[in-house]
Amino acid sequence: MKRRGDEVGGYRLLTDPTNEGGANCMWAFAEKDGRQYFIKRFLEPKRPKDGSPANATARKLMLEECEEFEERHRSIMERLSHDMSGGGNLVLAVDLFHEGCTYYKVTERIETSSLEHPERLGSREKAILLRTLALSVQLLHGIDVVHGDLKPDNVLVQKKPGSPFHVAKLIDFDDSFISGRPPAREVIGGDQFFGAPEWRRYVQGDESVQPEHLTTATDVFALGLMIHYYLTGALPGHDDRFQFPADAVTAGEALRIDPRIGPVMTDMVRAMTARAPGARPDVAALLAALKDTDVCDLRSPAPTAEAPAARPSAGSARPAGSRVKKNLFGRIRGTPGGPGGTDGPDSPEGTEGTDSAETTGRTEPADPDRPTVSRVRINLPPPVDPGGRSPRTRGERR
Amino acid sequence: MTSNGQYQGSLQYAVDIVMCIDVTGSMHPVLGNVKKSALLFRDRLESVMHEKGKEISRLRLKVIAFRDFADYADDAIEQTDFLVFPEQAAVFDDFVGRLEADGGGDAPESGLEALALAINADWERGLDRRRHVIVMFTDAPAHPLGSPASTAAHTYPPNIPRSMDELSAQWGYGRSQTAVMDNAAKRLVLFAPDISPWTEISEEWSLAMHFPSKAGHGLEEFEMDEIINTIAYSL
Repeated sequence: MKRRGDEVGGYRLLTDPTNEGGANCMWAFAEKDGRQYFIKRFLEPKRPKDGSPANATARKLMLEECEEFEERHRSIMERLSHDMSGGGNLVLAVDLFHEGCTYYKVTERIETSSLEHPERLGSREKAILLRTLALSVQLLHGIDVVHGDLKPDNVLVQKKPGSPFHVAKLIDFDDSFISGRPPAREVIGGDQFFGAPEWRRYVQGDESVQPEHLTTATDVFALGLMIHYYLTGALPGHDDRFQFPADAVTAGEALRIDPRIGPVMTDMVRAMTARAPGARPDVAALLAALKDTDVCDLRSPAPTAEAPAARPSAGSARPAGSRVKKNLFGRIRGTPGGPGGTDGPDSPEGTEGTDSAETTGRTEPADPDRPTVSRVRINLPPPVDPGGRSPRTRGERR
Repeated sequence: MTSNGQYQGSLQYAVDIVMCIDVTGSMHPVLGNVKKSALLFRDRLESVMHEKGKEISRLRLKVIAFRDFADYADDAIEQTDFLVFPEQAAVFDDFVGRLEADGGGDAPESGLEALALAINADWERGLDRRRHVIVMFTDAPAHPLGSPASTAAHTYPPNIPRSMDELSAQWGYGRSQTAVMDNAAKRLVLFAPDISPWTEISEEWSLAMHFPSKAGHGLEEFEMDEIINTIAYSL
């Protein structure tokens, strides 16, 4: 087992490998020729050991698995060439190799900003962040590649010195596939919170959903949810009978868009999260809308006669006496304190210390469509450790 | 949602975990930590899953405590059935609470026999998706499978593979015809020293993760997070 200080494939490990943030790999930071990298150790497939007594059939089957694994990764890597115009915000693999029985994949190490609350950015900053994200997704879709696991965890937010803006760096193409040609139902990647209705049904074994139904439109659904998240800090609400947005949409229930979001982005998020993949707009429509940065403005909540429920403070798993559910997301990679080479506190100008529901106890905006507050799903960023420690980041071990 | 429009509900997840715990004398300094973590495991897992807004539909834990067949056959293996949580939590707590670090004789222990029993356990086959995790806690190397000193023990379990190659075949790989466990579900998490056979297993077996401890120095660096990660991030 490689540990900090060991070399693998010419890369010297800077941290002990960990499985934090993933169940199908271990990862570490590494260095080669003075540059730093993120190196991922795949748990499968394994190459047969040289000289192993595995019988010929087993050896052949293992090598077939390895060839398919390499072919899938290399085909995506070839489509995502580094000199692809506009591809600067895709964090692409720079190396894929095996050492001994094990496969490793290497990407550039991204220095990330400590932007834990993108919803606190100003409208212009949000629009630029979302445009960089949308451009990357559009680029993928333009070459018929589905990312396959779009979610905030797979977006690194970067702010270069001297630049007032944050940009989104899209990472983790391990679950990517060619549009209409997804992996098998049992092994396809993805996240239930951001998965599209057709993806959920595919995973559940619904035979009416066939591989050709999983296209770039599945990414659009996830991107619609992410836009809502980046604008407000939460996913759209939905009836509590459903655990995930896709399930509510599949059942014909409308997602509850935060009423502070303006009409343009409300319509956009609603369209992007439509039940039918064909009804969702392509990313170009989103990019066109984002040309007007005002669309990212959040409106003041309308006054209401009914006292709105106070938003529970971050860190309280379930407020006493309330049936309100919270979904606390996993951290976005690169939060402060970890080995991600973060820049330290780096809020954009004019947003540091701005009012937020988490810190001020601001009440939920009124929503005439919401039946009762007890059936509203609220999503908050991860809690702060009561002991005052920063949340752990990838690679940090206590 | 089925094709006729009926809501199927969320995916149903079954999580089975087998904890193979070395309870030989050398584990004395750390067994308390392992036991404490085992007892807190369910609450930790539930808390993390809750934070992620996910739920485990059916959680079962099984414990295989092992010592050394070659040293003293009578207490070389003690194990529970798969215990359903929370209904059988008291049985689990009682079993774990009674574990004591004792015996074992020489350094190699019967860790591979425990691993073989775990692989051949009665894993859940139902529900939509499954996660089957074997966790090995040991501070020692293991006797080779088929070692006469072990197999001669009157308590030696039947059907234990007689070689490492046989055990590897039972673990299998994606297209293996001989794998016992569901390949899409299984994971092996090793908290073991970086010595044979654990080093070879982590290098050559698919879906195995190794968090090395120093041989003879127990599991001071043991963290439950690594096990939680294998579950929470894969459902």
